Amino acid sequence: MTIGLNAFLLVSGLLFAIGLLGVILRRNTLVIYMSLELMLNAVNIALVAFSRYNGTMDGNIFVFFIITVAAAEVAVGLAIIVALFRRRQSVMVDQLNALSR
Amino acid sequence: MTATQSLLFALLTPLASAALIAFFLRRRGALASYVSVAAAAAIFVFTVLAIRGMGEGVVASWDWLTFGNFNVSMGFLFDGTSATMLTMVAFVGFLIHVFSLGYMADDKARARFFGGLSIFMFSMLGIILADNLIMIFIFWELVGFSSYMLIGHYLDTEEAAAAAKKAFIVNRIGDLGFLVGIVYAYWHFGTTNLSEMQGIVAANSELISATIAALLACGFIGKSAQFPLHVWLPDAMAGPTPVSALIHAATMVAAGVYFLIRITFLFPESILCGIAILGTSVAVYAGFCAYGQYDIKKILAYSTLSQLGYMAAAFGLGYPGIALFHLITHAFFKALLFLGAGSIIHGCHHEQDIFKMGGIFKKMPVTSITFLLGVLALCGVYGFSGYFSKDAILIAAGLQGNVLFTLLTIGALLTAGYMGRLVWIVFFGKPKSEAAEHAHESGVAMLLPLIILAVLSVAGGYLSLWPEQLGQIIRDSKDDLHHLAGYDAMHFRVAILGSFAAIFGLLCSLLFYGWGASEDRLEKKAGPVYGFLKARLWFDEIYGYYVAKIQQRLANLLSVLDIFLIKGVLVRGSAGVVGIFSMASKSLHVGNIHGYVYWFLIGMIFFWVVAAGLF
Repeated sequence: MTIGLNAFLLVSGLLFAIGLLGVILRRNTLVIYMSLELMLNAVNIALVAFSRYNGTMDGNIFVFFIITVAAAEVAVGLAIIVALFRRRQSVMVDQLNALSR
Repeated sequence: MTATQSLLFALLTPLASAALIAFFLRRRGALASYVSVAAAAAIFVFTVLAIRGMGEGVVASWDWLTFGNFNVSMGFLFDGTSATMLTMVAFVGFLIHVFSLGYMADDKARARFFGGLSIFMFSMLGIILADNLIMIFIFWELVGFSSYMLIGHYLDTEEAAAAAKKAFIVNRIGDLGFLVGIVYAYWHFGTTNLSEMQGIVAANSELISATIAALLACGFIGKSAQFPLHVWLPDAMAGPTPVSALIHAATMVAAGVYFLIRITFLFPESILCGIAILGTSVAVYAGFCAYGQYDIKKILAYSTLSQLGYMAAAFGLGYPGIALFHLITHAFFKALLFLGAGSIIHGCHHEQDIFKMGGIFKKMPVTSITFLLGVLALCGVYGFSGYFSKDAILIAAGLQGNVLFTLLTIGALLTAGYMGRLVWIVFFGKPKSEAAEHAHESGVAMLLPLIILAVLSVAGGYLSLWPEQLGQIIRDSKDDLHHLAGYDAMHFRVAILGSFAAIFGLLCSLLFYGWGASEDRLEKKAGPVYGFLKARLWFDEIYGYYVAKIQQRLANLLSVLDIFLIKGVLVRGSAGVVGIFSMASKSLHVGNIHGYVYWFLIGMIFFWVVAAGLF
């Protein structure tokens, strides 16, 4: 039995929605960050599914790029969060509002 | 050296002198005065060289500015008229420079004074030599500037500062008309070059435009202090006396008349008639005003106004040559009178009130004799230079009609009267003040110019003594006059009436005011009459009322509009609108990352809506 494209897209959409809600609702920078990664991977699933369904390699190549860039981004982003915690002893976004003052 | 080069040198030498003084000699008054006098002498030498080499005349022109196909050129139109004027200005100017050496010897700001004289000579020569209206206008404004600078020489006195401003502003009013006239003339003729315009007008006399002539005459009215812009000239006497002699008697105020003579071909009959009436009325009006003055320089200033009126009348009657003749003789004797007054003022320790002088004749014989010769020339006593020119004007007026003739004769009578008043009070009787008691004769530098000018005032009227190249236009105009019907009878009549006016005026003033009077008898016996004369028809008061009550109110109204509309609504208003926007956009700036995420989402949705074509 083969699983249809719609199932993949449904999973992808759910993951994306969870990630988006996480970004919007959560206050911990680390969790927001994880939600962002979730959104990226939701997109990856959709791209791979399309690639498979269409029988081309375009989507797969995109996914490789996204994985690579995401890895680099994680390295940088986590470093920033660590540095932020060292300086402010907090990673809660509602305390990081120096711009409004 | 060609004549063109000589002219160029004559024009540029005073400019170089002025620049040298302004940049390097500010604090070295003595050196500056010698530089300036040397420049004045050089002008005269170059003028003589230019006249020797001029032949039929010099025409030269250089492009100065080009905008598209509109071209402003600088050039010389050196013909008999300008040669005559140039010789007079160069010579009288040189004498006045020499006189200033003595008169200004103790002045603290000598360098500024002599620098001003040099820049004035430069500007004046520019007007004389210019070959187009735009160049005349440029130098016209430059003489205005130098006049402003020199009137305000004693800049720490309120009077001089105000007089300088007044002269400048009143001249601007006339110059506005002049400027519009130049633009109109360019539009009408396609050129502002004097010879080209003359050619166009000669080919088709229907092109003569009364409007252009009237507008250009506005410049003359301002510069030559005619009605109704005459108010600046008496006040300009606040400047040093040599300046009054050079600028406000002999040359600059006469430049207006000279300008008219240069563009005489542009004038239709109607405007000429208007100028004649204008000149005659000024001649009589100023004659009356002089009786109400007790400052020796102001009396002479009104006399200058009156004589300028005579020149304007001669021009208006259609005899530009005779106007030039009177201009030249007037320059000689009026420069003499002003320098003589300067010598007296210098001798009396800067006392200018004639009722505080008296007995000057014994103290200052040379000054007095030369001054008296000048008075006789001004009154037009037979044989003196003033007689010949004023006589010709009266004859021209007499052949034209009775009204102008009568008025001008009355003017001559008034002239003799107020000059007599001045002479009897200042020179004779007993000294009436400490200053006059200790009056002393001036030095050689001041007496020499007086003597030379006295000789010219006596002999300057004999045209046969003039050099061949000079005064052709005067001879032409006199010939025209000679060939009119009834010339001989009129000449006889004028000679009798003119001499009668001169002698009667002088005698009457002696009988009325008395020998060396110490107070004005007219003021004492007939106060209202004196008050009326002193009020000068309330011109200053009317202008003062106009400026303070009408113009100032209009200005206040405009200022309210400016503050309310432009500053309030336009400037502040537009700033306010931007401010409201900024307050709105500032409130979006929450500083919380979630806020920005929402904006980001809204932006995304907006782009999606636009990209999908739903909006």
